[in-house]
Amino acid sequence: MVTVCTDSPKQIQKGHRQHRLGAVMLSDRDLTVTDAFGLRNLGFHSGPFGLEGLPVPTSILIGGDGKVLWVDQAENYQRRNGPEVLQAALHRYL
Amino acid sequence: MEARSKKLGTTLGIAAFGVAALTMVVWFRQINQVDIPENRIVFAIFFISAVALAICAFVMRTRWFGAIPALVAIVIGGFFPFSMTISRQETGTTGIQVGQTMPQFKALDRNGDWFDSASLEGKPVLMKFFRGHW
Repeated sequence: MVTVCTDSPKQIQKGHRQHRLGAVMLSDRDLTVTDAFGLRNLGFHSGPFGLEGLPVPTSILIGGDGKVLWVDQAENYQRRNGPEVLQAALHRYL
Repeated sequence: MEARSKKLGTTLGIAAFGVAALTMVVWFRQINQVDIPENRIVFAIFFISAVALAICAFVMRTRWFGAIPALVAIVIGGFFPFSMTISRQETGTTGIQVGQTMPQFKALDRNGDWFDSASLEGKPVLMKFFRGHW
């Protein structure tokens, strides 16, 4: 699993210790990766000052051939699908 | 008579703050768990009630120690529609779609080292984009 967010590596390291996630956790301060995937939130963003934008929370399942198999995106950051949706996708596609 | 009215107004002001603060605590707890219900009518009723109580407090000419909580309740009540408004997310038509090839990228990992997406080739990957600020 690879996670991408706008936090600095230092902040991510702190989150990694706190949540003990076994994932490659990447910092995308300038939204380069977010823009490559076209996931910048074009609506109002309520993130910290100094950030020019935030990604829309999105889960993407990619096959071994590099093709996108499944995309799950939150229309509202206050509501997201639960882990059962992700598990169903993993069972279906992998 | 006026003293009784002020006493009632002060009580209403404090009650307004209590309702607004408690609703806000529940609201933020559920946001933190990314579990805000789709139907937010219950939250709306509580926030509107808090604002209504605060307005009643001022109508009843609350004392200053009822006015301050009433004002805070109105601010909290006003925050609710603001929070609802900014929560919507949109990427337009640019978002990655099923069937497309994963873009190549490089980014710093949590140790400050460069990570190259080329290292993922040949493996299935789950990518998760977060808003961050852990």
